[in-house]
Amino acid sequence: MNNWRVDGKGRINRDKRVRFTFDGVSFEGFEGDTVASALLANGVHLMGRSFKYHRPRGPVTAGSEEPNALIGTSRGGSGRFEPNTRATVQEIYEGLTTVSQNKWPSLNFDVGAVNDKLHKLFAAGFYYKTFMWPKSFWDKVYEPVIRASAGLGVSPAEPDADTYASRYLHTDLLIVGAGPSGLAAALTAARSGVDVVLVDEHRELGGSLLSEAPTAIDGKSAESWLAETVAELNAYPNLRVMTRATAIGYYHENMVGVAEKLTDHLAEPPATAPRERMWRIRAQEVILAQGALERPLVFDGNDRPGVMMASAAQTYLNRFGVKVGNAAVVVTSHDSAWYAAFDLADAGVNIAAIVDVRASVSEHLQAEARKRDISIKLEHTVTTVLGKKRVSRVKLGKVSEDGNVSGIGTVSCDTLLMCGGWTPSLHLFSHTKGSLHWDAENEVFLPGEKTERCHIAGGGRGLWSQQAAFDDGVHAAQQALASRGQSAPALSIDVDGDRTGSGIIMEELPSNDDKFARRAFVDFQNDVTAKDIRLAVREGMLSIEHVKRFTTNGMATDQGKMSNMNGLKIAADELGRPAPKVGLTTFRPPYTPTSFGTFAGYHKDALFEVTRKTNIDSWAEENGAVFEPVSLWRRARYFPKTGEGMHGAVARECRQTRASVGMFDASTLGKIEVVGPDAAEFLNRMYTNPWSKLAPGRCRYGLLLGEDGFIRDDGVIGRISNDRFHVTTTTGGAARVLTMMEHFLQTEWSDLDVWLTSTTEQWSTIALNGPNARKILEPFMEGADLSAEAFPHMALRECTVGGFEARLFRVSFTGELGFEVNVPSEHGRALWEILYEEGKKHDMCVYGTETMHVLRAEKGYIIVGQDTDGTVTPVDAGLSWAIGKKKPDFVGKRSLKRPDMLLPTRKQLVGLLTEDPNVVLEEGAQIVEAGDTAIPAKMLGHVTSSYWSETLGRSIAMALLEGGFERNGTSIDIPMPEKTHRATVTGTVFYDPDGERINM
Amino acid sequence: MTFTTTVETLPTMGRYNLRCKRENTVALSKSLGFDLPSSIGEAARSGTQSALKLGPDEWLLTCPMEERATIRQSLTDVYPEAVHSLTDISSREISIRVSGDQAEELLSTSCPRNLAKLSTGCGVRTIFDSVQVVLMREGDRQFRLDVWRSFAPHVLGLLAVACAEFESGL
Amino acid sequence: MLLIDCPYCKEKLPELEFEYAGQAHIARPEHPAEQSDAEWRDYLFIRSNVRGDHAEQWRHTHGCGRYFNAVRNTVSDKFIATYEIGQPRPTVTKEGEERDEQLES
Repeated sequence: MNNWRVDGKGRINRDKRVRFTFDGVSFEGFEGDTVASALLANGVHLMGRSFKYHRPRGPVTAGSEEPNALIGTSRGGSGRFEPNTRATVQEIYEGLTTVSQNKWPSLNFDVGAVNDKLHKLFAAGFYYKTFMWPKSFWDKVYEPVIRASAGLGVSPAEPDADTYASRYLHTDLLIVGAGPSGLAAALTAARSGVDVVLVDEHRELGGSLLSEAPTAIDGKSAESWLAETVAELNAYPNLRVMTRATAIGYYHENMVGVAEKLTDHLAEPPATAPRERMWRIRAQEVILAQGALERPLVFDGNDRPGVMMASAAQTYLNRFGVKVGNAAVVVTSHDSAWYAAFDLADAGVNIAAIVDVRASVSEHLQAEARKRDISIKLEHTVTTVLGKKRVSRVKLGKVSEDGNVSGIGTVSCDTLLMCGGWTPSLHLFSHTKGSLHWDAENEVFLPGEKTERCHIAGGGRGLWSQQAAFDDGVHAAQQALASRGQSAPALSIDVDGDRTGSGIIMEELPSNDDKFARRAFVDFQNDVTAKDIRLAVREGMLSIEHVKRFTTNGMATDQGKMSNMNGLKIAADELGRPAPKVGLTTFRPPYTPTSFGTFAGYHKDALFEVTRKTNIDSWAEENGAVFEPVSLWRRARYFPKTGEGMHGAVARECRQTRASVGMFDASTLGKIEVVGPDAAEFLNRMYTNPWSKLAPGRCRYGLLLGEDGFIRDDGVIGRISNDRFHVTTTTGGAARVLTMMEHFLQTEWSDLDVWLTSTTEQWSTIALNGPNARKILEPFMEGADLSAEAFPHMALRECTVGGFEARLFRVSFTGELGFEVNVPSEHGRALWEILYEEGKKHDMCVYGTETMHVLRAEKGYIIVGQDTDGTVTPVDAGLSWAIGKKKPDFVGKRSLKRPDMLLPTRKQLVGLLTEDPNVVLEEGAQIVEAGDTAIPAKMLGHVTSSYWSETLGRSIAMALLEGGFERNGTSIDIPMPEKTHRATVTGTVFYDPDGERINM
Repeated sequence: MTFTTTVETLPTMGRYNLRCKRENTVALSKSLGFDLPSSIGEAARSGTQSALKLGPDEWLLTCPMEERATIRQSLTDVYPEAVHSLTDISSREISIRVSGDQAEELLSTSCPRNLAKLSTGCGVRTIFDSVQVVLMREGDRQFRLDVWRSFAPHVLGLLAVACAEFESGL
Repeated sequence: MLLIDCPYCKEKLPELEFEYAGQAHIARPEHPAEQSDAEWRDYLFIRSNVRGDHAEQWRHTHGCGRYFNAVRNTVSDKFIATYEIGQPRPTVTKEGEERDEQLES
């Protein structure tokens, strides 16, 4: 392959070569490689350009915390491009296509890199200060330019072609992280028999065991110990292992969201496999064994390709069999980087020097270094990095006690490994609002008070060595079991040749160069430098929360995994206050970037949300209906004939209905069965109207207010028998009304013997309206005489229609002779078809919601929610007649007497007739006094309903108008962009004001 | 593991929503010919009829369609001394049966309840995705979901996608 | 996602089955007509905004269907007690109020 692979190292499958492309160039790697490891194996470090300055960048880590090596990936076919994928996480597979980001025209030569030269212009707060003026520049110049140049990667342009899944899982114990602590905890718990789920974000279990040079565990090589342990774990029926599964959020009551990647590593995923699955795991106990993240050091040029975390180089070597360079300098404030240096040296990498800022380091480490001929520079620092697209040399300096640095020259190298110590990974713990306490001795935040049943093990508690991690994992499992009242047998895992160590935490590395001239990066992804943070403090940002927002430190997709602690230390230094007093910003889910698809789960395309359809809907679809959504329902809006638009279809449907008869699917109306000896009393209390004297077999319009006196809903209510009412509600109000009724019944009037049952979906409801409506029904009636005398307006019967048991109402929402037939839902379409056939004899049309709206508006019937908006009283709506004056109380009655409810200047529902009968006003249009051209004019109200009335041959409208009743007969203006329309205020009944047609 | 779990829509069955105060359950039980269960989630059966307690004062009665009149008549007869509400909801809902080795896990794709705690013969009203359902465990590996008619396509759609997912083996 | 102990079902169940229904222990006046405007205003609109333990009504909507009362801590979000409608508010310890707020943002 090439000389960057190290023989005998790594867990890649050297028998299986895999080809993929990066920026159009084909590369070869092995099964088990990530894009980053495979590119490094090919000697490629330059993998992207940075967000703001377009500086060349290479991978700085080997894991999910990677801020630099972000690439675009194509999973094949349209809708399968993803930006900002971390090259350090994405596994390669045959045919994978990847591209670099934030560059033009190419990664090697990028025009945007001019930003780097102008970096003094782009200091923190640059946007806020620079784009203030002139104001007119904002939308024409600044915003387009910023939008074109800002942002990470390119947004996908096509709908995501993949599917996503979700799953709930309940378990006794969830262990997050399968490094030494997590494995020890899992072994302990699984052996005790409780249900355990073990999740890890990597493709295989082991965590840091995969990255470190072999120690001996229980007398075996670490590799064999791990293989045996994984085999043992997989054999437990009470343990479920999930790999490529990241715990992204920790929610209330021990619910942890886990995003599992299922297919992103497969060249040919099974056809119906989802790409990712969101697990919602509810655990009795949770163990967080997420380890710790290595902290970068902050110095000039610390972002150059070839500068990398020491542990990352160790991972590339031991896990992927890749050496990241031939000649490396190590700069560190922690012992751990010394071990990394030893591993690399043993693999043939020339370690030019170990530069440690500390004055003393253990004799053991120094001896080991000397054994490998490594030059040791204690109390030294790296002051700058030379080389642009790859490190070529580093400048070193000797640090004196007063902090002064004297240069000692440069060292040639192609790699600079850094280590600023380790930050416990407490992101998930922070999601629970668990408190963090500052350990002053080790200068780290450690877990404090808990709010959930969780236990933290290993690196998360600041422990740093395999033995400590194993022991702590066992201990955490014992604790978790103990809080369930169970005990677990002790388990001891003995590590031989363990690497222990300690370190200190720095701000920037010492340097004599001007602090404000150094390009020392804190947040690589958002291009925030130490200078930016110091500047923010100088400009008055005293809290870390303000510093964060001013500089954007920690606000990129890596959520400050690398930058938070360094940012805090630098801000604290500039403020002259101890770090815990400056505070730490809040970690929020998700822990790592997670696709929208994973959150959406199954909710896409037809399953995006519930679409409710009636039993008759299929007929409407087959007969060319145009649909509209009404709450969750889809309803037929109109039924165009060939060549008809909406206007033509609605005009025809209106004409036919008024002239002969129209049929309408009213099944979506809400229905509630109110049953019990106190049913009438209950309705008396809920509705404004009186119900006690309504005879069985009769129905009445009902108006429902909120306790505040405003209209909430309306509908026809029929009395089936003395103790049984059939209540109808608006389509959108069905659930709301039932909830409101239950609330009053259960919490205020539990003494009443009455029960409520939703019957919305028990019935299909077919409305027949028009002078010929009776003729359509009559041939199919059994057990009911439909004549005007026997079955007058507002009567109801239980009968049989077309052979189906039915509840037949004589009601009208059009002003015409009208019937509503309710039959058991599943028979709706059958009856509809029977009536449709009969209708052919009488020029019957079928109509949809649009015609329904026009016909009811012609009669001044209101639609709750369209002509009312939650501030309209029955008086305002002209419905005073519906108020039972003699009733002592009903919901909302007292509110109707509140002073503001009695003002004559309230907005009241009126009709409007435009001067130009052809003008159909826009619903929602504002109304002003006639002739009022002042700017701003006083708004008097707005148009609520407006239609072309085919029946009247002109437009009609309804409006809520201030003092509307008093304005009857006067003119008002409706100013619109093209011109101002004048209209006369009228009553709301435009057609058949005496209501003769209803009684035919 | 081969995926053999099936999802089927059941024919219409007789369903009543029965509501009454505690003191009248004895009279109603007598009329029905079997004791109404007293704990939420419990069911009682007699021949082809069953009663599942959904709330403190609420039962779901099920029976073959042709037996609805019998139930209605016997409860109407007892109404004067034991008031209650009996409402026919046979057509309101559609029943879906999920059966097979992975029935429980299939349902866990959209049901937040811990289904392991639902014993055979028991049932509860709960939520499946955003849809209210009555979920009954008919056997160790068999469940029934009663879903309001217009929500059934959504539930069936979710189950179909989930079945495809399970079949993929991932 | 919270778990809520339904006092009727006697089981801790997922929050998705429940709905919030406003502050608890606000009884509808027996005779609204006799209420002064100020009294009626208070009944309609005046609610407490507690930092700490708050008495609330909830409904087990997608379960037994019953409304019940709960004491919930508005800082930790968690339920401290649930009880049937008509029962008095139980005395509970004030958990959560003294919590360290350094991580608030």
